[in-house]
Amino acid sequence: MEAAQRDPVAFDALYRRYLAQVYSYAFYELGDHHEAEDATERTFLAALANLGRFEERARPADGEGASTFRVWLFQIARNAVANQRRGRRRHPQAPLEAAALVADPLDLEGGAATRDDAAAAWQAVGRLPADRRRAVVLRFVEEMSTAEIAGVLGRSEGAVRVLIHRALRTVARDLDGRRPGAHRRSSGDKPA
Amino acid sequence: MTLDRDAAETDALLTDLYLDALLAGAVLGATIPRITETASGTLDPAARRAADRLRHDLVRVHPSFRFEERLATRLAEAAVAMRMNVAAGAEGRVVTLRPVAPSDVDPLLFPPDDEAAADPGIGGSSGFGRAAVEGDPVRRARPFLIGGALTSAALSLAGAAYVAWRFGRPGRGATPMARAARAVREARLAEAASSVLTRDRSNRRRPD
Repeated sequence: MEAAQRDPVAFDALYRRYLAQVYSYAFYELGDHHEAEDATERTFLAALANLGRFEERARPADGEGASTFRVWLFQIARNAVANQRRGRRRHPQAPLEAAALVADPLDLEGGAATRDDAAAAWQAVGRLPADRRRAVVLRFVEEMSTAEIAGVLGRSEGAVRVLIHRALRTVARDLDGRRPGAHRRSSGDKPA
Repeated sequence: MTLDRDAAETDALLTDLYLDALLAGAVLGATIPRITETASGTLDPAARRAADRLRHDLVRVHPSFRFEERLATRLAEAAVAMRMNVAAGAEGRVVTLRPVAPSDVDPLLFPPDDEAAADPGIGGSSGFGRAAVEGDPVRRARPFLIGGALTSAALSLAGAAYVAWRFGRPGRGATPMARAARAVREARLAEAASSVLTRDRSNRRRPD
């Protein structure tokens, strides 16, 4: 991080490290590869241009190597996605459900059942209110801590915990409502 | 009402604890299951199942290699352009200097940590004292404005160099040879001036 602030050419290492995370976040938010690419591109260009403004807020007590750069980067990504959404209202695109087709491409054994499960989970998340969906994506996909999510969303840690808790209950109701009494992955049975 | 809110916050806290264990499970392995069991025992089973499922199904999506390289190229070009701008002038850009080893610190430039801690203007209020900076090289670094400051410093250096050159330049030496050379030169100038004056007078006296 410091190296990139001294010499912008060193930004490439940060880009490689966080590209998939930012792209993934944008993709879950926008549900379209092209739009996610646009948002990702804007995010990294803005981050590079404003790198001098980044202030490290991690404390020594946070541990060696702790950094708030990811939170800062995702704040930019969140703005880029919001701008992309504003443009999308003028040009409506396919919803998040369409993206479920690409879930877990390496799971060849699971096949169609896995894709169905993934699609159902993605759809359940896609139906959540925006703030809950965002918190769930940051928690499960980006594997951020509650404190990091609070930094990205500009909320307290307690509020983020409640958001995720409520989101989980909603998703649980949604998934159980679709396939009552059957959690295929735990039981191993595929319902008829 | 307060009890409901407290209960909701407690549930949310337990869920958070469970998720911490769930998401860290793959990394920390053996130490986690005990925590997971404790948290999951009091957690709503449906929420726990949903969490397990989202953990598995919400995968990270990678962009195409083509996109990655295209954006990398664009960023590299932008970075090079930024670097060239910095080299050309860097007016008004704030950069962070590397931390300085305590033994190298100039006491006139950097106040001692105790002084810094005592002076809110220096950093006392922001915890920039010894306790705050010790072991934290990032916080030891200080922002430094280059551009205007560099320009004024360069002008000052140029001024000092010019004055030094003026004092040290040859021509105003006090050695005997220098004085003799100066006397000869002044005599020649005086001779040339008197000859011009004589010629001028003679021209005036001559009737047209």
